[in-house]
Amino acid sequence: MARAKRPAPLAGLRVTDLSWVGVGPTVAKYLADHGAEVIRVESATRLETLRRAGPFLDNEPHPENSGYYANFNSSKLGVTINLKHPRGPALVKRLVAVSDAVAESFTPGTLAKLGLDYEALRAVRPDLVMISMPLFGQTGPWSDYMGYGHVLQAAAGFNHLTGWPDGEPIGTGIAYTDFLAPHFGALALLAALDHRRRTGEGQYIDFSQYEGVLHALGPALLEWTANGRELERLGNRDPEAAPHGAWRCADGRSVVIACFTEEHWEGFRAAIGRPDWTDLERMRRKPSRLREQKEIDRHTALWCGERTAAQAFGAMRERGVPSGIVRSPEEMHRDPQLRHRGHYRVLEHPTMGARTYDSPAFRLSKTPGELTKAAPLLGEDNERVFKGVLGIGDEEYADLLAEGVLE
Amino acid sequence: MSVSVPLPHPRGPLSGYRVLDLADEKGQLCARLLGELGADVIKVEPREGHATRANGPFYRDEAGRESSLWWWAMNAGKRSVTCEPRVAAGRELLHRLAAAADAVIETSAPGSEEAKAQGADPRALMRANPGAVVVSVTNFGQSGPLRALPATDIVASAMGGHMHLNGSDECGPVRTTVPQAYAQVNAQAAVGTVIALYARGANGGLGQHVDVSMQEAMTNAMDNAQQTWDLLGVNNRGPGSGRMIAGRQGPRYIYETADGWVAALSFGGLMGPSANAMIDWLDEAGEAGPLAAPHWRARLETVQPLEADEQALLVGAMERFCRPRRKDELVAGAQARGAGWAPVYGPREIVECGQLAARDYWVRVPHDDIGESFVYPGAPFILSRTPWKQRGRAPHVGEHNDDVYGGLLGLADDERARLRRAMAV
Repeated sequence: MARAKRPAPLAGLRVTDLSWVGVGPTVAKYLADHGAEVIRVESATRLETLRRAGPFLDNEPHPENSGYYANFNSSKLGVTINLKHPRGPALVKRLVAVSDAVAESFTPGTLAKLGLDYEALRAVRPDLVMISMPLFGQTGPWSDYMGYGHVLQAAAGFNHLTGWPDGEPIGTGIAYTDFLAPHFGALALLAALDHRRRTGEGQYIDFSQYEGVLHALGPALLEWTANGRELERLGNRDPEAAPHGAWRCADGRSVVIACFTEEHWEGFRAAIGRPDWTDLERMRRKPSRLREQKEIDRHTALWCGERTAAQAFGAMRERGVPSGIVRSPEEMHRDPQLRHRGHYRVLEHPTMGARTYDSPAFRLSKTPGELTKAAPLLGEDNERVFKGVLGIGDEEYADLLAEGVLE
Repeated sequence: MSVSVPLPHPRGPLSGYRVLDLADEKGQLCARLLGELGADVIKVEPREGHATRANGPFYRDEAGRESSLWWWAMNAGKRSVTCEPRVAAGRELLHRLAAAADAVIETSAPGSEEAKAQGADPRALMRANPGAVVVSVTNFGQSGPLRALPATDIVASAMGGHMHLNGSDECGPVRTTVPQAYAQVNAQAAVGTVIALYARGANGGLGQHVDVSMQEAMTNAMDNAQQTWDLLGVNNRGPGSGRMIAGRQGPRYIYETADGWVAALSFGGLMGPSANAMIDWLDEAGEAGPLAAPHWRARLETVQPLEADEQALLVGAMERFCRPRRKDELVAGAQARGAGWAPVYGPREIVECGQLAARDYWVRVPHDDIGESFVYPGAPFILSRTPWKQRGRAPHVGEHNDDVYGGLLGLADDERARLRRAMAV
């Protein structure tokens, strides 16, 4: 017998999402993918950065063809309001008056100039939870600094700690903090919403992406503050494991191997056929192995170079050694584990067709999240939101359109 | 006996919740963050102390179970109890602790016979407290062909696709030296935990299982590589020193300076619109060379990716411009001209950063036990009404046994003595 479906975990919450680019929209996506009604506010007069950024369908730049934009905006409704229009801010306020939360990531001061800062918004919604999330927070000498995750990762230490010891601080190759900061922002917003659920109290959250992501480097920061020593980038080595690294195999793919325990080491030895060098006195205990990493790396590279990544990984896997293959994006799409988990969800987009979207790394057993729709077109839900949610009549709606407020 | 930690935090947004922390590297930061938001976090350890106390680095390089900086960083502000679920009385105690919790964070391998024998598998924990949110943070999730595969940070970084996007052509992919798969999965698990706690409150006490995958946490840190494959059939990859835009390698954006390195997203792609101001700046310094020509200005203003020969010219000019200058001076100049540059900072420079000082970021944490105090990272977010709070140093092994077993569970002295004799605590 079919049981009545439980409501989504965040059902009943409404969020006005004024944010843009990566971090803010990803925070709001968490809420949208778990049942909150998230209304993404944009304007055609100042196009969201990511609608201008690829990858585009067929390599054709067009605001409705960006996969970059789409992935961060699943499950959301899309409306357009021209904030520069004299009547724009008032319309935003009407939306906020019926919202539980507001997310924004403008340069500090931008919303205040429009009369849409927290003080102004809580006047229309006293129990509002609002989160602001620029790179560096609302105050301080860098508060008006601009940038993206590519450069915030540099200020936050990720470049310093990624690369080879004798080489440049190459960093992660991506806008890394755009994919780390949102979890901290979402945590703060959800905790504040739970407090509001329990007490009825709203509040304002000054989230500096910089200050959040530093918590991903805790031991390295303490190594400086407690021991006065700076951790340096170590390539693929680990101070506590040997072998530990990534090695290119005969088919050009790389395999990773990590031996933290004596058990791992014994498994590794068995997997590579117990060659003589592994039996040397200085290879028998981890502390001395850690001093022989160069030699261990050399042998491991030779062994990996003589077989495919699948063979190397298979041998390690059979012996219980932590190991894996560096997966390409193509391989990720075919990965049987991710397939089984349904990690990539396929959603039908009006102009881009059936496209894959990332989903949360967690599943709730009884009230799971669900990606309910592809990213919105610009202004796709204007009528539904302005008429349906705000109760604006046909005449006023036509007037807002004619006046250019909804551009 | 009164204990000095954790510091009370009744004003946190999650105060009133209790979290049982059975986690290894995949869940300790998650539990710590919940504690700093107000939850009462109880770390459960075996009698000899949790295995992660052996993780370096160590204070003054002296290995010991109370000196691991990893342990300090991940477990600050928690209570610690010892509990030995290998004996029956210990299992019973573990389930009593679970029954007193709103959320349980656990990291046992899916299907692990050892966890089952200890009553510490997710099913047993949910049976012990059907109203709890049981969060299982594992390598690949609870189900699927790789569910039992052993993994550490680098394995998830590889199998989650993240490592494919960095490194260099000569040396191959590279991991971030401070484990990021662990950091990512902890932060994402914390979000999942609070969503489940919210749903529990809204649904009249509904407990449930939250299944978190470390592989998927890294899969979510692939920038737009997933969509680039999906839309264009192109594999984004490293090297990390440049940006790959829709499968095309952009110009490098890490440049050497007189005192280190600077991250200088400046020209090409989306950085195009600020190109003119940058060219003017280089021109003032006499370093613009051919870039100052009108056709170059027009070219660099567009958002179209640059060809290899165009990149070479640009990179040459940038290298000459940055090399003799100091990074903070470069960043201030670029920001004043509308370009989002940032300095490449190491741990020392981060701790000395003026922006963080102006916001009073760092917290000095007393370690009363050794008569010292150390600087820790501060509030990851500033909540106006229910602030984040650092709750003090990490606990010693079993520091809160009396506090928790006597106070919270209300076990009488003789009962606690019996448990000690039974080797349960």
